[in-house]
Amino acid sequence: MYLLNRKQRHGVNYTWMIISLLLVAFLPFFLFSGLYLKSFLLIHDYSLTELIFSNEWRPSSGKFGFYPFIVGSVWVTLLAMIISAPICLLTAIYVTQYTRKSFLRIMHPAIDILAGIPSVVYGLWGILVIVPFISRYLGPWMGVKTMGYSILAASFVLSIMIIPFILNILIEIFRAIPGELKEAALSLGATPWQTIKQVLLRKALPGIIAAFGFGLARAFGETMAVLMVVGNVVKLPKSVFDPGYTLPALIANNYGEMLSIPKYDSALMFAALLLLIVSLFFNLVMHFFIVRYNKY
Amino acid sequence: MLKPYLSLPLLRFILLLLLTGFLTVSCNNSNSRSASVKGDTLQGKITISGAFALYPLVVKWAEVYHELHPGVTINVSAGGAGKGMADALSHMVDLGMYSKSVSPEEQAKGAWWIAMAKDAVLPTINSQNPVLSELRKKGLTRQKFYDIFITGKIKTWGEAVGNGCAVTLQSFTRSDACGAAEMWAKYLKDNKQEDLQGLGVNGDPGVADAVRKNPEGIGFNNLGFVYQMDTRKIYQGLEVVPIDLNDNGIIDKEESFYNTMDQVMEAINKGVYPSPPARDLYFVSGGKPVNPLVIAFLRWTLTEGQQYVHEAGYVEIPPDKIKSELSKFD
Repeated sequence: MYLLNRKQRHGVNYTWMIISLLLVAFLPFFLFSGLYLKSFLLIHDYSLTELIFSNEWRPSSGKFGFYPFIVGSVWVTLLAMIISAPICLLTAIYVTQYTRKSFLRIMHPAIDILAGIPSVVYGLWGILVIVPFISRYLGPWMGVKTMGYSILAASFVLSIMIIPFILNILIEIFRAIPGELKEAALSLGATPWQTIKQVLLRKALPGIIAAFGFGLARAFGETMAVLMVVGNVVKLPKSVFDPGYTLPALIANNYGEMLSIPKYDSALMFAALLLLIVSLFFNLVMHFFIVRYNKY
Repeated sequence: MLKPYLSLPLLRFILLLLLTGFLTVSCNNSNSRSASVKGDTLQGKITISGAFALYPLVVKWAEVYHELHPGVTINVSAGGAGKGMADALSHMVDLGMYSKSVSPEEQAKGAWWIAMAKDAVLPTINSQNPVLSELRKKGLTRQKFYDIFITGKIKTWGEAVGNGCAVTLQSFTRSDACGAAEMWAKYLKDNKQEDLQGLGVNGDPGVADAVRKNPEGIGFNNLGFVYQMDTRKIYQGLEVVPIDLNDNGIIDKEESFYNTMDQVMEAINKGVYPSPPARDLYFVSGGKPVNPLVIAFLRWTLTEGQQYVHEAGYVEIPPDKIKSELSKFD
């Protein structure tokens, strides 16, 4: 019936499992060393502080300052988190504490659909809706003249992109909290809000921080949607209505055209290395919180 | 109990599978470059990659050439000028499509190139521009463009044309590294794309769209994104800023050739429209090509192939230049 006997089949599957495991285990290492080797040309010639804190980006005259890109990335990401974090938290609390289970069954596919939309679609939507909204209404209302292509537009688009992502994790975290804890608080005379604030949120805190952290890491690396609305101007932004430039956008905009010029190519690899290090850092911190959460 | 069962023949079998997989892939690669000229019928494969700007023209050439010589297949892929150059230098492909001037670094690596068509970058504005009639009459000089795009000294349309119009001027540039921006910056006193001021928008259509949406906007576009290919007229909502080539403050008759695509093409071909911002488009390869098939194809593009350049929306190479390009094969 089978080509191989029972034991042999197990052997084949076992071998494949080992191969897959090794592949996964060594992948980050390969990524890291590859990028490091490719950016060595740049790291060798410039000091790290010069690369990271210099303002001047003029590759043709040999000046590689990544500061405007780093600042742009940080602004866009943090602003997106400030917009999406409260929305996610409140939605997750409402959905898990105040609605029936059947409501969640309807909500879940809706959230999953949002999470599955390609980022270029979000970007187009940003150009069609968010950018004109900022240049025609929000900007004039705040007394600022802006073209709409700005840090703010990018963070709006980005926050909408990461909401389903964070929301899904938050809902799972709240659902994992034992119902007895809530019942105990309520039986002691606490109002629902007091229960949520003193029991639920306190218990879920590490998990909440971890969820936000994953959202942050994702937002930091988002490329296409941000690139389309952020304005791509290499300059330190003075307000959220100014255009900016992010690290992933720098790579995406220049890689195909510039990889034949060694220094430029190396600089783009260095940008990728920075991105990798930052997201690794986020992930490590979040991992720490999750480990703590699991100990409770 | 589950116990790992790793038999040696099994492992060998898996390794063999992996190995054959790799071999098939690498075989494919070497196949693509094995070409031969049998008798007088050409046979083989040519691989080309590179600039998006040249893709439509080269695809057209590949189709026509395949019809002429059914034994020859040409694979064209677009991935950016830099990718074309890098692939050509590392001999991953036979030819790279390249849309800017070859840099000294690339020359040092042994890049070889021939021009095969011309394209031009034109300054574009919105058709609702507040000072449109003035611009049509006077145009803008290179110095004015320099003060708009490089120094940023000119901030209103009034300053640009010399009247009291206080509407702010918004310049747009390309966010993605590209030959068009490179050439436009080069025209403005030998600068680089990174020196161009303005909001960075992605792609040629992106800039055209941004200018179309903003009456106060100014940008620059490749020929094919300013004029419609079928009607040869300027796209709805766009206008070209005439360049005051002789700096006399007025657009003379010989400086006004922007009405149709064919007029501009003629001006570019004759050299009336300056280069840059008109630019040569190149085929590049790592060292002088030795494959007779590739040489035959390149020669064809410079001779009979030129007749397809016009309809694809590019400008033919002037005859004397063709001669000098052909002599590069000797």
